[in-house]
Amino acid sequence: MDLNQSMRLLSSWIAQIGVLGLDLLWRFIHLVVSLCYIVSGIIEAVESYAISLGLNKKYSSINIEKLRCLAVVVDIEEARDVSKVIELLQWLRTIGVKQVGLFDSQGLLKKSKDLILGTVPGSVLSEEIGEKDSSPDQNPLALEFISSSDNKEAVMKAANILLQDHLKSSRPENDKGENFFTETHLNEALRVVGENVHAPDLLLVYGPIRSHLGFPAWRLRYTEIVHMGSLNYMRYGSLLKAIHKFTGVHQNYGT
Amino acid sequence: MLSLFSVVFTFLALFLLIPGLFISRRLRLPFCLENIIRFFKITASKYDDERNDERGPLGEKEKRARNRMPKHVAVILDGNRRWAEKRGLGTSGGHEAGVKRLMENAKDCFAMGTNTISLFAFSTENWERPEDEVNCLMALFKKHFKSEMPYFQRDKIKISVIGNRAKISQSLLGLIEEVEEATKSYEGKQLIIAIDYSGRFDILQACKNLATKVKDGLIQVEDIDEKAMENELMTKCSEFPNPDLLIRTSGEQKISNFFLWQSAYTELYFPNVLWPDFGEAEYLDALTWYQQRQRRFGRRV
Repeated sequence: MDLNQSMRLLSSWIAQIGVLGLDLLWRFIHLVVSLCYIVSGIIEAVESYAISLGLNKKYSSINIEKLRCLAVVVDIEEARDVSKVIELLQWLRTIGVKQVGLFDSQGLLKKSKDLILGTVPGSVLSEEIGEKDSSPDQNPLALEFISSSDNKEAVMKAANILLQDHLKSSRPENDKGENFFTETHLNEALRVVGENVHAPDLLLVYGPIRSHLGFPAWRLRYTEIVHMGSLNYMRYGSLLKAIHKFTGVHQNYGT
Repeated sequence: MLSLFSVVFTFLALFLLIPGLFISRRLRLPFCLENIIRFFKITASKYDDERNDERGPLGEKEKRARNRMPKHVAVILDGNRRWAEKRGLGTSGGHEAGVKRLMENAKDCFAMGTNTISLFAFSTENWERPEDEVNCLMALFKKHFKSEMPYFQRDKIKISVIGNRAKISQSLLGLIEEVEEATKSYEGKQLIIAIDYSGRFDILQACKNLATKVKDGLIQVEDIDEKAMENELMTKCSEFPNPDLLIRTSGEQKISNFFLWQSAYTELYFPNVLWPDFGEAEYLDALTWYQQRQRRFGRRV
């Protein structure tokens, strides 16, 4: 019996040591992985500051003409800090971007529209470009404010317009819809609903996850999507790097 | 000092080297710290998922937020031509390697607990490619639908092919219908293959279907909402129509007209590796990356 009890005690100790060993191993692995991420984060930050200070000649000239329309998606938590958004827009203006669409899923930036337009010098609503004959600023920054209501809800409204046109047609019973449900018609219907249908060339996502968070789906067909991390830790160098990388991209549109 | 060194070394050998060899042999991956780290993270996450299931019923969204394995993974298979060019092969060689990789990766994904896998095999825009290339791709689809049928039936994988079937040849269409019919009753695992698919076309055909239903008096105009729209999209064949994770290989950072409506809250992962080189290790990387994210589906937590 003593032998059995001793064996049981021994196996229990071995099991406990094994569990402790595995726990230590797991924590060790976590430590190694965390260190790797810290090191890569430091390298990225140093590179970004070097770019901001103009030390990296590669980013000193950017072919900004290739970027006709830029969109920025901001996570709702970060959209509450409008000052950061304003700072970002000022950087974009410095770089030479002419058209920016600002998106957050709940429309917080839409509500701060007046503040943003009043604070960012040379900024105007994109709808107003062309309406004013003479603008004091020769290079205005056209801003568009977008939220989730401009995504699926807008497509629903546009679909209803197409449906009404289809039903009003002279022979709806014979028409299978090929003449009413095309991309051109949906584009037109979206314009009637008041939506912009221009696809942005580049989409910058500021937030904890790399997802477009409900940006109007119809417009995203060939848009380059770049995740920039948190808006609170945004860097001018990272922004410049992302735009520079985009200008080097070749689009073949699936062909 | 020497005895202390030997104890530490023995400890390291017992708890690092031997399990590491065991794990890497199981994974059929090169023995390196990175792969072992990935394996531990995935295994721990699966263990977390099982514990969460045991805790009791949760709301669907809360369960998915806590569940760290994606239920639906979508893949844009990009880079076959560049892969072939690098190796001095023809385009067909690249596509052949791509399709072979496709089946291997699908098996790995299902083995890791993913319920639905969507593959962007051929887009509407791809019809503009050279005729030889298009014919080669169609021939590859035919060949692999036939050869993989026993695997689909053995592992009970439901096959669904989505896209505009108007331009697909009758022979391939017949094969597709045969495979779909043979596997339609399977549940738990689904492989969605997008052939001649366009995200914009998907939205348009959903609008057309709804219009037809209104015209036929089946629904009223007021009934047309987001839910009604989602029920008409081609992904209605799946229990999980919206992908949790979308992977596009070859370093391109766009979704190229794939799942435009469905990808509103999808995690986008853009590795630089070309599709024929995207193996189990790279998929583990994508999963560990996915599991580190905090998904809020647009709400405040």
